[in-house]
Amino acid sequence: MTGAGHVSAIVVTSSTPLWYATRATGLVALVLLTVSMMLGLLSSVRFQRPAWPRFVTLGLHRNVTLLALGFTVVHVLTTVLDSFVSIPLPDAFVPFISSYRPIWVGLGAIAFDLMIALVITSLLRTRLGLRSWRLVHWTAYLCWPVAVLHGLGTGTDTPAAWVLALTACCVLAVAMLTLWRLALTWADRPLAAASGVVVVVLILIAGGAWLHAGPLAPGWSHRSGTHSAAARK
Amino acid sequence: MTAHPAAAAWAGQPPAPGDLRLITSDLPLSLAEHIDRYGPPQSADRDPAALITEVERSGLTGRGGGAFPAGRKMRAVADASTRSGRIRARTSSVVVANGSESEPVSSKDEVLLSHAPHLVLDGIALTAAAVGADGAYLCLGAHAPTAARAVAVALAERERAGLNAVPVTVTSTDGYIAGQETALISALNGGPALPTFVPPRPAERGANRRPTLVQNVETLAHIALIARFGAEWFRQVGTVRAPGSALVTVTGSVARPGVREIPLGTPLREVLRRSGLMAGAQAVLTGGYFGTWLPLPAAEQVAVSEDGMRAAGAALGPGVLAVLPDSACGLAETARVLGFLADNSARQCGPCRNGMPALANAMGRIAFGPPSRDAVGWVEQLTGLVAGRGACHLPDGGAALARTALRVFAADLRAHTASGPCHRAGRAPALPLQNGLGR
Amino acid sequence: MNSEPKKSQPPGQVELRVNPIACDAHGLCMELLPELISADPWGYPIVRGGPVPLRLQALARRAVADCPTLALLLTERQ
Repeated sequence: MTGAGHVSAIVVTSSTPLWYATRATGLVALVLLTVSMMLGLLSSVRFQRPAWPRFVTLGLHRNVTLLALGFTVVHVLTTVLDSFVSIPLPDAFVPFISSYRPIWVGLGAIAFDLMIALVITSLLRTRLGLRSWRLVHWTAYLCWPVAVLHGLGTGTDTPAAWVLALTACCVLAVAMLTLWRLALTWADRPLAAASGVVVVVLILIAGGAWLHAGPLAPGWSHRSGTHSAAARK
Repeated sequence: MTAHPAAAAWAGQPPAPGDLRLITSDLPLSLAEHIDRYGPPQSADRDPAALITEVERSGLTGRGGGAFPAGRKMRAVADASTRSGRIRARTSSVVVANGSESEPVSSKDEVLLSHAPHLVLDGIALTAAAVGADGAYLCLGAHAPTAARAVAVALAERERAGLNAVPVTVTSTDGYIAGQETALISALNGGPALPTFVPPRPAERGANRRPTLVQNVETLAHIALIARFGAEWFRQVGTVRAPGSALVTVTGSVARPGVREIPLGTPLREVLRRSGLMAGAQAVLTGGYFGTWLPLPAAEQVAVSEDGMRAAGAALGPGVLAVLPDSACGLAETARVLGFLADNSARQCGPCRNGMPALANAMGRIAFGPPSRDAVGWVEQLTGLVAGRGACHLPDGGAALARTALRVFAADLRAHTASGPCHRAGRAPALPLQNGLGR
Repeated sequence: MNSEPKKSQPPGQVELRVNPIACDAHGLCMELLPELISADPWGYPIVRGGPVPLRLQALARRAVADCPTLALLLTERQ
C-alpha cells in the first residue's frame, strides 16, 4: 500500500510457478542471446581454429538464436498467463503500452520484435538479398542491449548478487568481442572504429550509472511503475 | 592515319567485292555525301524484324572482340523486349553503341567514327527499330576528340533532316576496364564503370534495367550496310565461317601503320605486307593487350579471322595487329603489358586482384630479374589460377598473353632462365602503356 | 507440357558457381564441401565444374545458405 517506508519488495512475495518460470526463462533467454551475439561477433571477425571451422560458429549461432527465441516465447507466454500482474499479450509486441513498468516491459517488447525480425530475415536470407538482410541484421546491436536493460529494469531478481554477476559477465563478454570487431575496421576506417569504441565505453559507463541509481537503489519497484493495483494481492 | 583512295561515288549501288566498304574517303562524309554514296537509310515502314533475320543470315559477328553473332544478340534483345512489353504494354529496350575503344593499341573505332559517323548512326537507328528500343547511347572514348567532333556534327545534320527518331545520347568513357560491356552499362546506370556479375545478361536487363543491345560501332556500321544491300552481298567477301570485311589496326614495326579494312580470312602475311612489314619482325601481338602472340614469319599464313586465329592458338579480338621488331625483347614487352593489365583491372575479384599482379611480377622476374629456374613454373601455375575466375575476361586475356609469350619467345626464355635478362630487355618499351597513346 | 504422367524423373542437375565480385574469401564453402571446392593461394574458392553429385547436394545447399556474402550459387542446368 502507499505510505511510509519499505515498499521495495512489494510484488516479490508471490510464488506462483508461472512467476518463477518467467524469471527463469528470462534469464536463460538473456544468456542464450548473449551467446548468440558472441557467436555472431566471432563470425564477423572471421574467428577460426583448426578444430573450430567457421561453419561451426555459424551453425551454433543459428541454433543458439533459435533456442533463445524459443525461451523468449515461453518467457512471454508465462508472463501473459501469469494472472498476478496483468500483462496481456499485445504488451509483448507493442512497446510501452503496458500498465506494469511500462518502459521496461516496453523494452522487452522491442527486443522481442527485433528478435523475430532478425530470425525471419535470416531464414529468408537467400531470397531477400544481401543488402536487405544486412540492414536488418545490424539491429542485433540494438536488440541485445535493449534485452539486457529490459532484464535489469523489470527483473525483480536484479539486486541479487548472482544475477548481477551473470549480467556483468554477459555484458563484459559482448563488450570485449565488440571491441575486437571494431579493431578490425581500424585499418580501413579509423574514425568509425574510434567512434565505435567511444560509444561502447560510454554505454558501459551510462549503463553502470543507471544500474546504480535505478534498480539497485531503493524504491525502484515504485519508480519503475509497479502500480498499487499490482500490489493488491 | 592511313590515306584511303577515294572511291567512286556509288550512287547507292552496293560496293563491289574489291571495294572498301566502311571508310571510303579521307574526310568525314557529310549526310548528303553519305546518302549519295550508300543510298538513303531504310525507311521505317520496312518490317524491322526482317533486319534481324537478314543480319542472322549474313553471319556478321561482333567486331568489338567478342565475335558473338550479331543477329543472335539482336534476336535475344528483341525477344526480351517483347516479353517485357507484354507485361508492361510498351516496348522497352535500349541500344548501346560501344565506341569506347579502351585498348591502347587499337584505333579502328576512332577512325570509323571520324570518317563514317553516319554509317554508325544508321546502324543505331536500324537496330533500335529492330529490337524495339526507344533510346540509344553512343559511348566514345575520352581520348578521341576527332571522333567526338565528327559525331556531334553528324548528329546535328540528322537532327535537321529529321532522322533522329530514336534519341542518341553521347557519353564519354575513360579507363581500360570501362569499355567492357557490363562496365559500360553499369556506368550508364549511374554506378561505377566496373564489370558486373552475369546473370543477368545485358540482353535481359541492362541500361535502365531494360533489355540492352550492346554492339561495337563497327558492327553497327556493317549492319547499316546489310540493311541496304543484303546478307548475300555481305558474304561476297570473307570466308564462309568468317564472312564480310573488318577493320584492323596494324601498328609496330611496319612502314605504314594505321587502320585498314580487310576481307576476313586474308592471310596475315598479306595484311602485314599491305602495311609495309619491315624486315626483322619477330612476332605479332594479335587482339590487343588482352590478346596473344604469334611468331613471325612462322605464322604468316594464319588467316586473319576469329576462327583462323583460334586455330593457331591466337585471338583476333578487336582486330589489333602489333608487330614486334627483333630489337625488342618479347618477354619484357609481355611483362610490361601484364603490369598494365594488373594496374587497370577492376580489382573486384580476388583471383584477379591477387593473381594478375603476381603474374606480372613473375613475368617481370623472368624478363628483368636474375636467372631463375622455377619462375617459369610459377608463371604457368598462375595462368591456370587466374583464367576464368573473374567476373570479366581480363584475367583470361592476361593468362593467354603469358602462355603464348612463353611459347613464342621460347628461345629468349631459355636464354633468360640460363643467364638473366638479354640486352634488349632494357630498351624503351615498343608497346605503349597508356590509354590514348597508341594512336 | 506433356500429357503422360511423369514417372521417376532423374533429379535436376545443379551446378555450383561463385560470384567472384561478391566473394570475399571467408572460406566456409570449402570447409563444408572440400570434395568440390578448394582454395587457391589467396584463400579464394576454386570450384570443380560439372554437376553436383546427388549425395552432396544437401551440403551444397547449406554452403550456399551459409556463405556470408551470398557469393556461392547453385544453378539449374537445363
